[in-house]
Amino acid sequence: MTDELEDELRRALPATQVRGSRIRRRRGSDAGRSRVRTDSAERALLRRDASVFDGGVAGPVCFPETAAEVQAIVRIANAHGRAIVPRGAGTGLAGGAIPLGAPIVIALTRMNRILEVDTINRVAWVEPGVINLDLSKYLRPMGYHFAPDPSSQQVCTIGGNLANNSGGPHCLAYGVTDTHIIATEVVLPSGDIVMLGGLDPEPDGLDLRGAFVGGEGTLGIATKIAVRLTKNPPAVRTLLLSFGHVADAANTVSAVIAAGIVPAAMEVMDQRITIAVENYVHAGYPIDAAAVLLAEVEGLEGGVQIDADRIGEIGRAHGATDVRLAASDRERALLWKGRKTAFGAIAQIKPDYYLHDTVVPRAKLAEVLAQVYEIADRHELLVMNVFHAGDGNLHPLLIFDGREPGVLDRVHEAGAEIVRASLAAGGVLSGEHGIGVEKQAYMSEQFSDDDLDHQNRLRQSFDPHCRSNPGKVIPMGHSCADIQALRRVPTGVWG
Amino acid sequence: MDLTIDPDELNMCVQCGLCLPSCPTFRVTGDETRSPRGRIALMRAVQNDDAPLTPEVLEAFDTCVQCRGCEPACPSGVPYGHLMERTREALADDGSLTPVWQRWALKPLNQPRLLQIGTTAMAVAQRLKVLPDRLGAPADLPLRHHALAPSATVDAPGRETVFLFTGCVMDVWQSKVHAAAQRVLEAADVAVIPTNRLAPCCGALHTHAGLGDDARARAEQLIGALPERPILVDSAGCGAAMKDYGHLLDTEAAREFSARVFDIQEWLAPRVDQLPQVDKVPVRVAVQDPCHLRHVQRVHEATRTVLAPFVQTLVELDDDGLCCGAGGAYSVLQPELAGLIRERKVEAIDRARPDLVASANPGCSMHLAGAGVRTIHPMQLIDAAISKTPL
Repeated sequence: MTDELEDELRRALPATQVRGSRIRRRRGSDAGRSRVRTDSAERALLRRDASVFDGGVAGPVCFPETAAEVQAIVRIANAHGRAIVPRGAGTGLAGGAIPLGAPIVIALTRMNRILEVDTINRVAWVEPGVINLDLSKYLRPMGYHFAPDPSSQQVCTIGGNLANNSGGPHCLAYGVTDTHIIATEVVLPSGDIVMLGGLDPEPDGLDLRGAFVGGEGTLGIATKIAVRLTKNPPAVRTLLLSFGHVADAANTVSAVIAAGIVPAAMEVMDQRITIAVENYVHAGYPIDAAAVLLAEVEGLEGGVQIDADRIGEIGRAHGATDVRLAASDRERALLWKGRKTAFGAIAQIKPDYYLHDTVVPRAKLAEVLAQVYEIADRHELLVMNVFHAGDGNLHPLLIFDGREPGVLDRVHEAGAEIVRASLAAGGVLSGEHGIGVEKQAYMSEQFSDDDLDHQNRLRQSFDPHCRSNPGKVIPMGHSCADIQALRRVPTGVWG
Repeated sequence: MDLTIDPDELNMCVQCGLCLPSCPTFRVTGDETRSPRGRIALMRAVQNDDAPLTPEVLEAFDTCVQCRGCEPACPSGVPYGHLMERTREALADDGSLTPVWQRWALKPLNQPRLLQIGTTAMAVAQRLKVLPDRLGAPADLPLRHHALAPSATVDAPGRETVFLFTGCVMDVWQSKVHAAAQRVLEAADVAVIPTNRLAPCCGALHTHAGLGDDARARAEQLIGALPERPILVDSAGCGAAMKDYGHLLDTEAAREFSARVFDIQEWLAPRVDQLPQVDKVPVRVAVQDPCHLRHVQRVHEATRTVLAPFVQTLVELDDDGLCCGAGGAYSVLQPELAGLIRERKVEAIDRARPDLVASANPGCSMHLAGAGVRTIHPMQLIDAAISKTPL
């Protein structure tokens, strides 16, 4: 049966299609190799994304290049009763793209064309594998960009952004991914292709687009996406404020918003992460400050200067020891590069990290942060805090060396306490990384049984057999069909 | 299998994936096994968990260009190049990588006479139009080799005297670049000793292929042959290899030697005022940064500093220094992937609309020329400007 599945997939995805290529190909050459991979190396690598979670075993790994090919794969999977899991760049932090139950992995990295840009209507059609930053770079000469800018934007894909309803520093002013997805073509778990949303300003009917965004691959696979284009701002000011206490930075953030200013971004990093980041980018981050606040205001020249001055004043009133204005585009770019690569820099200190993503009311930031440090101390773990302060979106990084016996248990215990502390403060589980497998167990602490049952009913109306990314998001007790899909694995075949 | 990689270095990768878009093979395949993160995970699987060396695992290692574009992208500073070099050496020692024919093919690099005979034979074949394109040789292979002579001013009072490293294949295939480099240096009142047969090969290609013993022997030979003076290199790949001798041999002499190695643009940049002031050449030139200049030596800005006074318009490519696919012998060993990678580079070049592309590495120049791009070494451009020779 397995061989039959592979044969069918190989027929659906003939080898050698590297689009637009002018070069000659030889048999057995690398570029001409099969787009259906079943070897142990490929399957082992796709057990992981950027999170600490190790998946099961990936089934065949497929590299489709068109929506029709995605459709063919889904239909073959259905005929064989197999689950599917879509994957972009594999930068997810909640285990959303890891394989559970030997699913067919649908890697969308080769569907990476920008299909159409319409600056008059401010919309672009792109394929899901387009890298977020590639799109904004492509749009730059036209004076536009794609506003959601997750820290991983240099590598993460638009399809992944859509699936996780990703945020990013500048989503404070512009809103998260959902705001910027106008329509999407979707291959449903049944294999049908539908268009959700539309280019009309007010599409008729139920907003299924809104339901689909943030579905983490459990509702189907986006194969073509209409994204909103955002005009590049005429003027930008970037401020770096230093503080002697993390709480002062957090309170400054609340005070800025309370003063009626909505900056484009407000990001806080504590001392440990600032040292690691500065060691990599050499942007002039102060390594002796307990915390730094990176604030950016955008708009018309006159307005941004006034806002920047006021943010500086508010910072000083809350204990800022230094306020610096980025003097050039280069300095500004370096400061942002530091902030956006922060997670990747931690191996300078420890080789593993576990990153949480809770959101708390802005006014409670300082209070919850103090608890986070206390929890980490109690579990004898190092914690570094880097977060989207303007949204109250915390990213505590518990850092450790996985080779140390028992450490992962302590990390999970501390993580659970951090999540509970955030929920107790009136917060939510995830700001932007999604639920995946990571926060599934906590869903019932945020939602009632009725809430979860209704979420599952929506999911089943898209995917009645629960074969699309099974075992994610909705906790097991509310999603019995997932258990069936996971049990239907031909055990031993892929081991 | 023990790949003999330092466990702490191997453990440095946090698998964040920020390197993926800087990897040329991931860019053209979208495949995790063709990415730095994937290759490091496979090294771990082999070394820590004794995963079997399947053909696919070997392919994953073999398809790495070793451009090291992932290193500047890594916030944790994973020394990817060294990890890959250790892996290749362990697998070559084991007989799993680098087949015997490749080992033999690299032997003559240290034998200038053999190289010259081979080049003449290839030049004849080229003129008879029977030379396979796949070899990637330049279109005008010389029939005869003319060795450069030392400057008349060597050790004259008040003159700086430097070695100009001439190398192996570049010396027989592109000696006109060396000749231009020597004229430019002399125009800056610098006396030049071309290394010729004193120092026939730097061993970079051996290191790439995992032939560590050969590479170390080449390094020892150069260190013995080139004492005291600065050593200028007009091939980015060779310069990067020679700057790494301190790490390769781990001796005081090797570190002292590596500290004297400079890319020629790097060395000239602070001395650019010593060059004569002439009219700028009326061309639009795109600077193509060789990976081993930009990602390994990290001195690529110097190319702009030295070119700026001599050409009318300098333009940048918009691909963030992504590799062109040349990679030493890579374009010969992995022609399909190298071709796909080159297509991306050619598209970036087309967007910049240059008359000429300046590249400070012979491998990149030849590989790009193979796709019809008009390439030139920065030293040839400056030489043409000073001597007022039409391009």
